[in-house]
Order: sequence, then structure tokens, then C-alpha cells
Amino acid sequence: MKVKLVTNILEANDRIAAENKKIFHEADVYVMNIMSAPGAGKTSLIEKTIKGLNGKLKIGVIEGDIAGTDDAQRIEGLGIPVVQINTGGACHLDANMISEVIADFPLKDLDLLIIENVGNLVCPAEFKVGEDMKVMLLSIAEGHDKPLKYPLMFQESSALILNKIDLLPYTDADIGKIKKDSLSLNANLKIFEVSCRTGEGINEWTKWLQSLVA
Amino acid sequence: MHEVSIAQGLLDIAIEHCTRQGYEGIESIKVKIGKASGVMPDSLLFAFEAMKIGTIAEKASLTIDEIPVSGFCNSCNSNFTVEDAYVISCPNCGNMSLRIETGRELNVDEMEVF
Repeated sequence: MKVKLVTNILEANDRIAAENKKIFHEADVYVMNIMSAPGAGKTSLIEKTIKGLNGKLKIGVIEGDIAGTDDAQRIEGLGIPVVQINTGGACHLDANMISEVIADFPLKDLDLLIIENVGNLVCPAEFKVGEDMKVMLLSIAEGHDKPLKYPLMFQESSALILNKIDLLPYTDADIGKIKKDSLSLNANLKIFEVSCRTGEGINEWTKWLQSLVA
Repeated sequence: MHEVSIAQGLLDIAIEHCTRQGYEGIESIKVKIGKASGVMPDSLLFAFEAMKIGTIAEKASLTIDEIPVSGFCNSCNSNFTVEDAYVISCPNCGNMSLRIETGRELNVDEMEVF
């Protein structure tokens, strides 16, 4: 016997994501989900963002990694509440993983919750976790072909941060092409050029972020 | 890369419906997967075969209906369908003002139960 279902496979995840979002909104916490390939500089960007905001926003951080606590230790060193999620092999964070750690944060005392997703340019874009905004980080050294190879990530993000621009003279990456292709995929994408190493461009980024949270 | 999560999700949905309606098992499941969904059909089939074992869908086959990326161009007022997983400009007139209509599907469409 045939049974018609017509149900979205990610429905369960999306439902939990919506519940998370409600909890964050009730506590008046803005949630940012940062996605990138491994090594693009997500943790460095979070460190620079925390230092750049210099206490203007009360921040919490969720670190998502397949294994290990190195990233969480780096953030903890800055005196910021942080929870490490080890996905144990899964290539992305999902809404349920976030739901399970919400209680570990003093939400009422926070303005901004930063979620560092697992380093991966494919899967994190598919799974909502209850965020207000997805931000994508691409380091210049990864090459200018990435927007057209991983279009979904660029289409789902509100902002694109191009990191490691201090390496531009040493690579063949065409930053003009990265911007052009990214904007073709997503005309509303806000693009920032930064170097977490030298600090260049961080100020513009943190100012924009602050304007969204306030 | 997250085909295991997708396989688990579709099995959960199918098994829940089957059990709730009082049927014993599932013979087949049909899903609609958009080409822009990021899911590889071969990997999904592989994950499904591994994860159905020990469930009431153990004997079920999985059919994947791949949905191409299609949309409507606001400039030349025409519908289009492409082979790629993304579309940047209208294949007819080259304009970038588009409305994407299909290609992101991740749906359990129907199943046969006994």
C-alpha cells in the first residue's frame, strides 16, 4: 500500500532550531554561526572579535569540533564563557547539539553568542541551529575558485569575511574574482577584508557586528 | 558529507508514519533530492543500506528522484532549467535577477508499507 508523506527530511532539525531561536530571542541574545573550511581562521577571528569589541558586548562562545578542546581553551583564556561540543565524527553542528548546551550559558547576561561550526565548506550550510545570522570565513590562500565550487555556503551567509589578506602578495588568488563570484551568488552578501594576524580590517567588521547586535 | 544524518532523518520519518498508522513494515521509500541540496545520491543510498538494518525498513528499497535547479528570470520573463548545482545568470538572457524555484528539495515523497 502506498502512503504519501511529502515531508522535509530536515524537518526535525528545523523544528529544534526554531525552538533554540525562540529561547535566544526571549533572552535578547544575538546568535552568529561562523562557518569555514578547516584552518581559515575561525577561532582567530573570534579571538580578534572579542578583543576588538573590548567588553562593549557580553559574549559567549560555542566551539564545534570533531574532537579536542584546543579552541575552547584559547577562548577561555580571554575570560569568556565557552562550551566545547565534540561531534565525534559528524561534519557539522546541528540544532540538537546546540539545544543541549544552551543551559550551560548565563543567557540573560549575554548580548552575543558566537557559534564556531565544524571546519567544512559543505554541510554546515544545510543545518540551521537557531542562529540570527550565518557568517562565512574564507582565507585568501584557499583560492578564488571556492565561491563557484561551494555555492550553497555563500548563498546562505549574510557576511563573507576574507581572512589572511596579508598573504595576498604571496598567492595567485584573485580577490576581485572572489568578490564578483560571491556577489553573483548572493547580491546581499556583506564582504569584509581582514587579517587576523595583523589586525587589518577587524575594526570595520566589529563595528558592523556591533550595529547588528545593539 | 552529511548523508548519514539525511538517511537517519528519512528513516525516522518513514518509520514513525508506518508505526503510527499500524503497518508492520516498509517495502520501499521514495525521496526527492534537489541537485543544489549538497546531497550525493550514491552516498545517501550507501548510508541508507547501512542504517536500515534492524529496523522495520530493513527490507525497504530507496528510490531517489533527482530534481534539477530551475527558476524564473525576472528580466526576460522565462522559465529555465539547468544541469549544474547552481545558477548565477539566466541561461536565456544572462540577467542575474532570478527566482530559484526548485533544486533545494530534501523530501520524503512516499513509501509502500505492508
